[in-house]
Amino acid sequence: MSLFAQAVISGLMAGAVYALLAVGLIITLRTSRILNLAYGETYAIAGLAVSLLTKAGAPLWLAIVVALLLAVVFSVGLDRLFLQPRSHWPIPMLILVTLGVAFVSRGVLLVLAGIDPLSFPRLISGKPLRWLGGALPPQGLLLIVVGVATAIAATAFMAHTRTGRQLRACAANADAAQLLGVDVGRARAIAFAIAGLLGGVAAVLLVPLTSVDFQAGLAMTLRGFIAAALAGMVPARGVPAGLCLGLFESFVSTYVDALAQDPIVFVVLIGAALWQSRAIRHGGGLRA
Amino acid sequence: MTQLRALGAACAAFAAFGWTPAPAQNAAAEWKIGVIAPTTGPIATIGTRQLATLQWWEREVNARKGGIKGRKVALKHCNDEASPEKAAACARELLAQGVVLLLNASVTGPIRATMPLVKNGPVMLTPSPNIVPDATGYVFQTSPPDADLVLALAEYAKASGVTRLGMVAATDASGEVGVASAAAVFPRLGLQYNLARIDLRATDASTQLSRVAGPDVPLLYSTYTGGGAVTVVKGYANLGLTQPLVVSYANISDPFIALIKDELPRRLLGTALRAVAPELLTDAAERERTATFTRSYEQWRGGERADMLNLLALGMADAAESILANVADPSDADAVKKYLEATPIKSFQTIRFSPQSHVGMNAKDVAIVEYRGGRWTRADPVR
Repeated sequence: MSLFAQAVISGLMAGAVYALLAVGLIITLRTSRILNLAYGETYAIAGLAVSLLTKAGAPLWLAIVVALLLAVVFSVGLDRLFLQPRSHWPIPMLILVTLGVAFVSRGVLLVLAGIDPLSFPRLISGKPLRWLGGALPPQGLLLIVVGVATAIAATAFMAHTRTGRQLRACAANADAAQLLGVDVGRARAIAFAIAGLLGGVAAVLLVPLTSVDFQAGLAMTLRGFIAAALAGMVPARGVPAGLCLGLFESFVSTYVDALAQDPIVFVVLIGAALWQSRAIRHGGGLRA
Repeated sequence: MTQLRALGAACAAFAAFGWTPAPAQNAAAEWKIGVIAPTTGPIATIGTRQLATLQWWEREVNARKGGIKGRKVALKHCNDEASPEKAAACARELLAQGVVLLLNASVTGPIRATMPLVKNGPVMLTPSPNIVPDATGYVFQTSPPDADLVLALAEYAKASGVTRLGMVAATDASGEVGVASAAAVFPRLGLQYNLARIDLRATDASTQLSRVAGPDVPLLYSTYTGGGAVTVVKGYANLGLTQPLVVSYANISDPFIALIKDELPRRLLGTALRAVAPELLTDAAERERTATFTRSYEQWRGGERADMLNLLALGMADAAESILANVADPSDADAVKKYLEATPIKSFQTIRFSPQSHVGMNAKDVAIVEYRGGRWTRADPVR
């Protein structure tokens, strides 16, 4: 068994999840200018929904469809019900609103799903695939391929489609975008729907390999935020940043020690933030 | 003038109904027992199941036995969410309420945070094997210490001809206790071991398992406690490993098995109290007490099976009941300490403290069990 190959496989699996979460978080930030701290709830909602529905006897495919819909509805509902009506509020207040929604969601999930962690069967089962001395479960391959492809598709949508450009225009200057004929409300709904979908997809791909409980949301928001911060909140960098973070963590854990993982990752994050702040010091900053 | 009238009316009301408030009378008529148990947070399963057992005990004592020495037992629960800061706040709050005993069903870090707060009493009982209290204090631990769990595992491994094993530990206080126990026990018994730590946020344990599970390693041991241990079991399946996997004490539970039922290792073993597999109890009275408890608990919980976590809390409950029944003033910490150090507590297994040790069980109380046919039984040797 090759430790190096296994570290790469493990890092890519974690990285695919980071990429999905980072891109979702960046998309909402770049269209609403709000850091959505309730973003990880889409992961918890989708993961728990599939687990509960399959436990109740629903076919896996139906459970997944319903779960993804719930994640999208939650994400769009957050914007429509809590953020858009208060768009005149200062942004830090709106960020606190998202944090409040995250805790409410956590409480609702606790009541509906209980305290025990849940999981559901793998989408693809079978013997692990052997690759350069490492073992990759078919579900892990699905996670890497579908996760990265979905994150890239969302990024491409933002960069290369008319709707994507409208979304970014809304973040740069919502009033100007409206004057130019962009339906700002619709654009934000699309952005939050995509983000919700990405969070849901992350859950559908990852939970069969681990488990999920009612409090998974904030942890997932943190993971997505670290990758998004490393990407400088630029959508196109979300996928590489997520994959690099996953691989980096895996190598630190494998060749240094898991005890050193968090300190090293956060030192790198601080370094990246300082590097990116050069642009702000020189009069630049975030542009849509 | 109006204010004077209102004051007069209030005085008349107090005179008519009496000044002594009713709650104070109730408080005097009950034994207040403080319970710290995480019912939300990362290890809520552990706290919730233990709290349920203590509530079962409260109900049994009050409803069937009419209380103890004519006074009802009243549990005062505080949820510490497995956070040391919240656990300390819980302990302060419960002590302020005047509890006569403190039952701490949390995990290593939070329990340690509460220990300085009871240095002058009252007595605190905890079932965490990671706590080895100083015998000069008022903290008593009702389980075997972690080192004895590891010793039982080491003896099982040696008896099976195993000379090297692989071990995965989480990067938390419980994990570090497991690492220290392994360093103290395995080399002493001539066992070599490979160790890998796993971060609590990890979504995959395959690299850690790859590091420790070579072809010369016939046995794997995970000390990871709680839901995160699922990641280790699923990582084991991802790698297609075949060695028997030993899971930790707190994972001998039905919710844990339900999570991994689709990916059960070929052989799933665990470190457990003997009562988890009642046929391993040689004392007929212990077998009977265990059977009575499991029947009654399952009936009360609508079919939910009692498991290792329930037994851990039962040990605390039996010790508390014994104290309340036999110590003249259970709020006198010195009297309770002297009583516990001198009196064996009859529970699912006998808990014995002494003036030299506040740990109530040892390696002889531990069994290596194996999950077979939907229940835990004595483990077969490693083949």
